[in-house]
Amino acid sequence: MSYAAGEALPPFVIESVSPDAMKQWAVFLADPNPIHLNVEVVKAKGLGDRVINQGPINVAYMMNMLMAAFPDGRIERMESRFLDNVYGGEKAVVSGTVTAVDGDRIDCAVQLDVDGRGTVNSATATIELTR
Amino acid sequence: MTELADLPPAPAVSGTTLDGTEIFTISAVENGALCRSTGVEPARDGTAHPIYYYIATQVAMGQTVAGLCAVCEFDVDDGPMMGSSGVRFQAPLRTGGQYRVGGEILSLERKKSRKLGVMDVLTYRLRLSELAGAVVLETDNVWVLPRKELA
Repeated sequence: MSYAAGEALPPFVIESVSPDAMKQWAVFLADPNPIHLNVEVVKAKGLGDRVINQGPINVAYMMNMLMAAFPDGRIERMESRFLDNVYGGEKAVVSGTVTAVDGDRIDCAVQLDVDGRGTVNSATATIELTR
Repeated sequence: MTELADLPPAPAVSGTTLDGTEIFTISAVENGALCRSTGVEPARDGTAHPIYYYIATQVAMGQTVAGLCAVCEFDVDDGPMMGSSGVRFQAPLRTGGQYRVGGEILSLERKKSRKLGVMDVLTYRLRLSELAGAVVLETDNVWVLPRKELA
């Protein structure tokens, strides 16, 4: 399969960010921060009225898009920036573009957008094609 | 408004070790649950989801999240925020794989922003290694620690 700079990558869509997944990730991350688990804590801190997705889940969404777009590749490098929170129940869409191709290495720009609020995470990544 | 030069400096924590003592094992069962929680099925070739770069290093470093904040003289209840996270993989992560974590705090810088006021920006580096010693990945994380008491 060949890739070219400027090529758009197929999006990865999360129809509804799951509060139940946040409970699982509190265990995976060994981090029981209540802003991910208890909406009353989120309200009390003035951070909104829905539980807040753990940042690494948002990175995982972006990785999912890259892994689907490059089934014969692996993520070699990734730099992610956290621009805003993602809330339980929101629809989120990962999109991406090939920015450069150098032999078996593909550079990409990736972003995670939520309905009505724009980009909440952005990233650059290098994929190494393995076949 | 207080000028940055008038504020006390950020705690001098650069170089603080974050070496872990525990072995982190990526469970195939947990990897499956993690993948499905993000909307995908786990890989069938024994590789783990690459987001384990963050999970394994956070869980097996030498500090808890609250402990790392405490090293920076910051109360975790005041809400640390992730700024950025970077990773460079030398090899894929594998289910059943056992790993150790080493690392250190690179810097803690006091800054001011119009949005957050006074904050300390924490940068730390962690390395995930196989038990035999080969480094599998290196990650740099940046957290923002809002210093409301200094605003």
